[in-house]
Amino acid sequence: MPPPFNSDMEPENTLPTPENPAPAAPETAEVSFAPRTNFARLTARTEAIRQEIGKIIVGQQDLLELLLTALLADGHVLLEGVPGVAKTLMAKLLARTLEVPFSRIQFTPDLMPSDVLGTSVFQQSKSDFEFRPGPIFASVVLIDEINRAPAKTQAALFEVMEERTVTQDGTTYRMTEPFLVLATQNPVEQEGTYRLPEAQLDRFLFKLHVGYPTTAEEVQILQGHHVGFGGTDLNVVQPILSAADLQALRQQVREQRVEVNILEYIAKIVGQTRAHKALYLGASPRASLALLNGAKALAALRGRDFVTPEDVQFLAPSVLRHRIMLTPEREMEGGTPDEVVKQIIQTIEVPR
Amino acid sequence: MPLARAAQTDTLAVSTLAEDREAPTQTLPVDRSTTLPPRRADAERLRELAAQREFQYREAKTELSFWERFWNWLWEWLGKISSTKQGRTTWKYGFYAALAGILVFAVLKLLQVDIGGVFGRKPRRSTLPYDVTGENIHEVDFPTRIAEAEAAGDFRLATRLGYLAILKTLTDQGLINWQPDKTNQTYLHELSNGALRNSFREATRQFEYVWYGELPLTAALYQQVRADQRAVTAPLNGRRPSTLAPTA
Repeated sequence: MPPPFNSDMEPENTLPTPENPAPAAPETAEVSFAPRTNFARLTARTEAIRQEIGKIIVGQQDLLELLLTALLADGHVLLEGVPGVAKTLMAKLLARTLEVPFSRIQFTPDLMPSDVLGTSVFQQSKSDFEFRPGPIFASVVLIDEINRAPAKTQAALFEVMEERTVTQDGTTYRMTEPFLVLATQNPVEQEGTYRLPEAQLDRFLFKLHVGYPTTAEEVQILQGHHVGFGGTDLNVVQPILSAADLQALRQQVREQRVEVNILEYIAKIVGQTRAHKALYLGASPRASLALLNGAKALAALRGRDFVTPEDVQFLAPSVLRHRIMLTPEREMEGGTPDEVVKQIIQTIEVPR
Repeated sequence: MPLARAAQTDTLAVSTLAEDREAPTQTLPVDRSTTLPPRRADAERLRELAAQREFQYREAKTELSFWERFWNWLWEWLGKISSTKQGRTTWKYGFYAALAGILVFAVLKLLQVDIGGVFGRKPRRSTLPYDVTGENIHEVDFPTRIAEAEAAGDFRLATRLGYLAILKTLTDQGLINWQPDKTNQTYLHELSNGALRNSFREATRQFEYVWYGELPLTAALYQQVRADQRAVTAPLNGRRPSTLAPTA
């Protein structure tokens, strides 16, 4: 039995391409089974982003698809992987393809909340305090090694990640749209790291595992490195999407169709995490919303104007793995959140 | 020496250690002039106290239950057995046998061997209990229900039933492995390449647009959908079911 979220499955439907966009107004019976939303621009832009990033990153197509899904679903992403698998590079390149302000924060154990959010400085000329915005005030924020900062600095991100505002000295500052946090962390290193609080983990739309490349991909990496004599020029990656473009594409995603049985399917999957005997903590309703928004974005990326159970199953591990906690017994047995999510999906009938 | 001084001043037979060895010990005179009346407890009060529950030292004999009598008998019997030489030998080999049994069970468990088959139990097909809330496709009378949906003008439902009928046919023919958690794309993946896969892909695409995409169907469009659905199953009519060999 193939896994329900197999990445190398049969390509779904006929995807419209920039050269062959989907017809907006069907006329005959043959063309009626086509998206009622014109995804030509969305498809063209996301394909261009893939190509730009593909100039430097080899492989990682599934990861890139999930990153684009998060971008369209307006959600933050936590990238987890061992050192050297291009987590930071992938985040930097995605940021480069967007024509929006970008900042990078390297989290360290001595980082203070004011180093992230900003601080009020006394201006002698005005005899008053003036707020100096911190690096979080950007549209794409790359937080590298997020688990190296202590809990109080992590807590500083709660408000800005969820409410998109920063409150300092009684004044609330609103972030400009789009606002996307891309964070990286290393799962194996324990020395000098702090486990992210559950409240913060819940604020990430996806937690994505960045794996090792295949042998063929690694050979390609080596060839590219050899030919380029070791240098990686990020300037070859050109910006593709402006803030306004991104907002327009996100609006298309918000208007996706979702049949009521699909909503029930999402609720059942998330609800099952709260009753599963291998789980100490289940997922919150925020997880259901994340799964819904992600599925809508993924459907749009795949050229459909409606969500299918396939989209839900594909995204469930990425949405749920950081929002659930295994029982100590299951952890000692070597169980993983992904296994439990897979089991849960297998127990719920696909709406059809 | 204060102790020696005290002995000299009083009449008491107190002496130093040296004197003990040399002089005889003097005894104190017994006072027989004082008369001490014996104290007796109040008889009424004694009776009253004796009537109280706290002073009832004799425990009432409790009746043993059947279960307690059984255990008493069992332990007595086991004790009797182990007191003989033959009994001790039986205990020893019984203990070794139990230990060996536990070890074998642990090894089989670690190797994940299904030992239920030894006792004639069929191995479980799936470890997961499926929550089948929808209809069982093997029990639905598809021709009747499709005809009813068509008569009611509910082309969306008719399309769905037609698609489920395809899945049933493919399952009966052993071409796909029906499981409630599988998606349409998983079934498509199970079919081997060829005309059947292409026609099933088209039927799946149409079904998804109608069912998940809520595409409103006209009567003409529905006729095309039904024709495409029949095109999937028509080549399978009269075909002998094959043993399922999923591609993955």
